[in-house]
Amino acid sequence: MIELAIGIILGCCALGAGVAMIAGIGPGIGEGNAVAKACEAIGRQPECKSEVTTTMLMGCAVAETTGLYALVIAILLIFVAPGRLVDLLMNTIG
Amino acid sequence: MKKIDRTVLTETGYIALSVLILSALMQAVFLAVGAWDGAVLLGNLLGGTAAIANFFLMGLTVQAATAKDEKGAKAAMRSSQSLRTVFLFAAAALGVLLPCFDTIASLLPLFFPRIAIAFRPLVGRKKAENRAQPDIERKE
Repeated sequence: MIELAIGIILGCCALGAGVAMIAGIGPGIGEGNAVAKACEAIGRQPECKSEVTTTMLMGCAVAETTGLYALVIAILLIFVAPGRLVDLLMNTIG
Repeated sequence: MKKIDRTVLTETGYIALSVLILSALMQAVFLAVGAWDGAVLLGNLLGGTAAIANFFLMGLTVQAATAKDEKGAKAAMRSSQSLRTVFLFAAAALGVLLPCFDTIASLLPLFFPRIAIAFRPLVGRKKAENRAQPDIERKE
């Protein structure tokens, strides 16, 4: 029975980490679109290259934070949560 | 080797400086709480280095992508984002798994560039005001 409970905990943690990483898709698409539009803007006004690059860099970094949140949650679910939850289970059972 | 764009260097410098300041602040909080030890310092070093390297690599990708066409830029940015996520995952996993690194101290610095960007408009506004000043004087 305990093995089953531990298995469920590990499975749910892995599933949660996988679901969390779905958020990693968004920044890739968003950054790609931002850079594509910036290329267009630089093509139209080459003299604004440095301003466009600065704004784009900042925008990309902001967009990437969402992916980072997901990454950190996934890492905690994979490496930290299972140990804590199994300990909690063992303490509850005694 | 390709020359690195000045904008990328400037922005990476700004981010590096901000990460340094925020890291010092985090160390101070750990000290105040009484949870400071060598693992916190090492974890902070690992997380901060990963965050700055991630931003710099993104800057290099942006620099390379601006020289490409729209489709090429999109593809370059997506592949770079995937590779950088793997790099960050490896760095964060090291910080969590190895006992010589503190978990919180190695994960928190990954978000420092975002905080730095939140304060960016304040720095940018001052620069813009300084730039606009001579124009006004010239008009007068």
